[in-house]
Amino acid sequence: MSYPKTVVDDIGNQYPRKNLLLTRDADEVAIQAYKERIQEARTAEKAFLAQKAERKSTFLQSVDDPDRSIRHWLAAANESEALAAFYQPLVDLDYDFELDYRQNLEIADQLPEIAAGRRQMLDLRDQTKKALIEAKKTGQKEEVAEFRRLRKERLAQLDQENKELKAAYKKRMISAKAFSNEKREDALAARDQIRVLRRQLPVNAEKERLRYARHRLRQDRKSHLRVLNSDLSDLRRKTPVETTRRKPLISYLTWPLPGLGQLVVGQGIKALFFFIGSLFLYLVAIPYALGRGNYRGKGLFGLVSLAQDGSRLDRSVIFMVEGVIAIILLVMGLLLLYQSFRDVRRVEKQMIRGIRRANWFETRTSVRRNGFPFFASAPAALVTLFIVLLPIAVTILISFTNYDPSHQSKFSWAGLANYKQIVLGQGIAGGPFWHITGWTVIWTLFATSLAILIGFVLALLVNQDRIYGKRLFRTVYLLPWAVPAFITIMFFSIMFSPDGPLTSVLSSLTGQITNIKYSTWGTRIVLILLQGWLGSSYVFLLCTGILQGIPKDLYEAARIDGATGFQATRHITIPILLFQTAPLMIGQYTFNFNNFSIIYLFNGGGPFEPTKYGNIAGSSDLLISYIYKLTIQKQYQGIGSAITLIVSLVLIFIAWVGFSRSKAFREERL
Amino acid sequence: MKKKKEKGLYLSDRPPLTAVKVGMLGLSYVLLFFYVFVILWPLAQILFASFNGNHGSYIQIGVSFSFSMKHFQYLFGKTYFLNWVWNTILIALATAALTLLFVSFTGYAYSRYRFKGRKASLMAIMLIQTIPSFAGIAAFYTLHSIIASIAPWFSRQMFLILIYAGGGIAGNTFILKGYIDSISSELDDAARIDGCGNLQVYRLIIMPIVRPMLAVIALWSFIGPFLDFMLPSILLNDPRSYTLATGLHTLINDVRNMHQPVFAAGGLLTAVPIIILFIALQKQLVSGLASGAVKG
Amino acid sequence: MKVELVNIGKKYEGREQFTIRHIDLEIEDKDFCVILGPSGCGKSTLLRMIAGLNSITEGDLLFDGKRMNKVEPKDRDIAMVFQSYALYPHMTVYDNMAFSLKMRKEEKTVIHDRVIEAAELLQMTDYLYSKPSEISGGQRQRVALGRAMVRKAAVFLLDEPLSNLDAKLREHMRVELVRLHKSLETTSVYVTHDQTEAMTMATKIVLLNDGKVQQVGKPSEFYEKPANLFVAGFIGSPTMNLFPGQIEDGVFKADDDFTVEPDQADKESLAEYQGKRVVMGIRSERFLAGEAEKNNISVEVDVIEMLGKEQLLYCKFPNGKECVISEPGHFKYAIDEVHHFHLDLEGLHFFDEETSERIG
Repeated sequence: MSYPKTVVDDIGNQYPRKNLLLTRDADEVAIQAYKERIQEARTAEKAFLAQKAERKSTFLQSVDDPDRSIRHWLAAANESEALAAFYQPLVDLDYDFELDYRQNLEIADQLPEIAAGRRQMLDLRDQTKKALIEAKKTGQKEEVAEFRRLRKERLAQLDQENKELKAAYKKRMISAKAFSNEKREDALAARDQIRVLRRQLPVNAEKERLRYARHRLRQDRKSHLRVLNSDLSDLRRKTPVETTRRKPLISYLTWPLPGLGQLVVGQGIKALFFFIGSLFLYLVAIPYALGRGNYRGKGLFGLVSLAQDGSRLDRSVIFMVEGVIAIILLVMGLLLLYQSFRDVRRVEKQMIRGIRRANWFETRTSVRRNGFPFFASAPAALVTLFIVLLPIAVTILISFTNYDPSHQSKFSWAGLANYKQIVLGQGIAGGPFWHITGWTVIWTLFATSLAILIGFVLALLVNQDRIYGKRLFRTVYLLPWAVPAFITIMFFSIMFSPDGPLTSVLSSLTGQITNIKYSTWGTRIVLILLQGWLGSSYVFLLCTGILQGIPKDLYEAARIDGATGFQATRHITIPILLFQTAPLMIGQYTFNFNNFSIIYLFNGGGPFEPTKYGNIAGSSDLLISYIYKLTIQKQYQGIGSAITLIVSLVLIFIAWVGFSRSKAFREERL
Repeated sequence: MKKKKEKGLYLSDRPPLTAVKVGMLGLSYVLLFFYVFVILWPLAQILFASFNGNHGSYIQIGVSFSFSMKHFQYLFGKTYFLNWVWNTILIALATAALTLLFVSFTGYAYSRYRFKGRKASLMAIMLIQTIPSFAGIAAFYTLHSIIASIAPWFSRQMFLILIYAGGGIAGNTFILKGYIDSISSELDDAARIDGCGNLQVYRLIIMPIVRPMLAVIALWSFIGPFLDFMLPSILLNDPRSYTLATGLHTLINDVRNMHQPVFAAGGLLTAVPIIILFIALQKQLVSGLASGAVKG
Repeated sequence: MKVELVNIGKKYEGREQFTIRHIDLEIEDKDFCVILGPSGCGKSTLLRMIAGLNSITEGDLLFDGKRMNKVEPKDRDIAMVFQSYALYPHMTVYDNMAFSLKMRKEEKTVIHDRVIEAAELLQMTDYLYSKPSEISGGQRQRVALGRAMVRKAAVFLLDEPLSNLDAKLREHMRVELVRLHKSLETTSVYVTHDQTEAMTMATKIVLLNDGKVQQVGKPSEFYEKPANLFVAGFIGSPTMNLFPGQIEDGVFKADDDFTVEPDQADKESLAEYQGKRVVMGIRSERFLAGEAEKNNISVEVDVIEMLGKEQLLYCKFPNGKECVISEPGHFKYAIDEVHHFHLDLEGLHFFDEETSERIG
């Protein structure tokens, strides 16, 4: 039941206690005397503060500055001087007195200086104002005429410079780039000089001077007061506080109402903001979670009931989404509650150790400094939360329900049933899962590898030394990437349709009617070839970029070492290419894994093989188009979500492995 | 440029050609031109089909060519093509603007400030962006009707914009952050000494410097809605509100409304500006992709 | 302006230890003060605290007696030149220099005059309207200086400004910087890890290590009277030869098997070190060729570095201990020869081995 002998300040410096009531080793008599002295000091302080208005009015009689701020500051400085004198003898009694003394000393020191600076600026402003009126009165006809003449001259000079430049350029004394640079620079120089000339006109000059004076008046006031406040807060940081409390009780007692704790420890304005948070918690988050103000649902309860007991029009999915929204709001509210609790507890704990609580100025400064990244990313975070995370959360939940065609309006929790169906390959929806997975893997590997191979080879071929027309080739090879994929896919789909042009060509080539779209492997092979066609551009461009970046001396070194062109390619070019493009190529694999457009637009996932795939999916469907069909077309949302979840988890895992191995992550450069 | 000097004297640094090498070179050219053909043939077919007046509702081979604008006339007169173009451009512009707005702040904050949860949220960002955007489709309808019940003016197109922009935040933040990281923080210090506050440092110093990367991000966000088929096909239900991808699809996905040459004409009109954009800006586009992936 | 640091300390957030602490420093008006130290010693932190880019955890920073701790960088009347120059790449040279004044809403004519004035002084009127990317490294350096100059600041802060230049240009800029400093009549604080820069430019050097001031003083004092073993080892090239040993009967007995009888002044200060461990330091040029009556050493020449005017002999004692000796260039030495040298008694430095502080 005793207090530590010393108190600490913000940076850990230790100070002896002044309050004898809290020290162990003082005797009764000393304590009694101390109590009396404190009592006395407090009474005197009260009496002294009561005369504040009086002191002010007497002082202001001696001040005749018309500016309100200056009068106010001078009066404040005067008051502080008096206060400092009053507190000086009390400094040893208590740290509060010491702080009062030191702060008032600082105020008395700084304010008159600030006031004097303002007076000077005000004088300058008034002077300038007068000068401006004067200048306007006299007019500036002559000056304007002179300005026009000078401007004309300067422009003529610019013309002359331009002519000389052009001549030099024509004689090939300077390059095209230098020419355009010089021309730009000359124009800029002329523009600036003319501008300055115009500004030198009397009226303009005075106007600008006035503008500057006004700006400085605003700016100085702000910055000087900020410095004063910062210095005062520095004193707060360095002057400890002694309190009789030993445990951070306030935080434990006030946590249910954010803001109350702050108010009790004396941080009024901060409390106001936390109270606004309280309003959110008690008027928005909690009522919403309880079902008030919902669109159709019942808040958190909706998650449990899923509208089973609701009216005919109530839909389970809405109940679920609103349930999730309720959770998000509630979590936000609870986080606020916790933050508020932690905040009060931290302040209390620090006070117990001897560190003063932050005043509003300090809080505001620190929020502005440390809070910037949070404010800056808050809108993005909110959008991500509701547009990206919320739907994902709902999808996860749906995967545990029996949301299917016969339970469209009302569905219920079904545990792991969907996952069981998928893994075992049962049911209408889950049946083809493994077939589709198998094809998805084959597709991903072959389609991507083909595109990479084509792009790779083309890049190597085009970038040989002796190939001419590189630009032409590059432009043409870019086209499959530049033409929107849906257009090419749809067009190829047309060409391969039963009586499309390519079907006819194929038929005449093979001598029999080959309808690609009716053949599983036909469709699959054409799809892979088509993706090879589409995807090669991107790989080609990337590789070209890298090839151009390989330093030439590498090849020269190789030639000196006796490598033939082919060997150089094998041992230098290809390894560098592979190494540098690897991460992007992995990206290509995941892209194709989810390449919905090509499958859906080419043949709608067909051809259909009901014996093997059931009624929902076709034999060229990938997992993603399968999910699309399940959720959007056939309304097996439950199973669709479960598959989505599995796919996402696999993708996240792959990404995480790649990411955690990446250089940026390992070197902690994040 | 450098080719001019190589005539006359053998001045090249390269070893002289041998017979084998001539053969290899010839083979290279054959392969390259073959692939040029492979690329140009289908594209040329689109071109011809759209101008061939002899095509009816279907594109067939062996039909002789006669120049006609009738497919284009159909496209502009009897379909909502102009609506689709307008929708797509609006959606694309809004997406690009919104993405830039979000990403400017987050990229700057993540690059220049050390704050609690920074690394964790970055990691989360990386993982979230691997989840395909369709993962939430089941909830999209509902979410939209809830928002629309609060704000009736909130159309499905706006929701689409939000999804595009929201989905792009994560990846683009990462790209921009990486780019800003490469700018010396001494520039920030210099700006602070010169009198800039937090936002001024970004607006006056950092933003002009990262403008190329912002342009790339804007460009990709702008192109995205032109290329995407799935989300608009799920979310938009009125043919008049369709984007180009979904709109053009209506011309070929149904026998009753089959107009393949018209589709070719529409596709051509869509593709040409994008092709020009790509060719003109290929360097920037590739660099944008590459930097995103290398950092990731 | 006079810059004073009173008991300055810095603790970064989330770290237990102070990065630097208890720094007391007085930089007089018009001083050219170089803060010297190995990398990571806290010298940049110190400079950034003076600039206001880093907050001051403890102590007071005074400009002409006025407390500056909490004043914003822009209001401190300082200008700073950065290692990477930190020129804004999207602005012309002119705009780069005008930027700070524009931010202060200074009159355009004033801005123009100041920019032109600085440009003329630094001889860069020809490329005022170029972008930083279009000019050379040396020119960029000038722009960075010009940008600082137009502010008409009372204190110039320079953070390793020459480290990105090549050797020749660096030499040239050193001279120019000193000239500029004189003509501008400002107080300059210059941070570097390069002792040559410090020795040639400074009117006052502050040597920092491990967040502590090792020695403050004029350049010559650093060379002639290093305050401790760290300073002795840091200043001077080649580095000072250090021989640990013991004082016995007023004579220094090196562990490397030679004895030295110090001169009278040293003897007096060494009086209380009787029988204690000390380190003797001697610079390479204080070895004299040939044998004398006492204080001789004999060493084997291992490597010779010929510098023309003089040559550096890297020698070995019989026990393997190495030392560097410099002799006039025209003396003939060959590798593997054994030579005798004697020590110039006036060039001896003694340090307490335990505290590593200078004795006397």
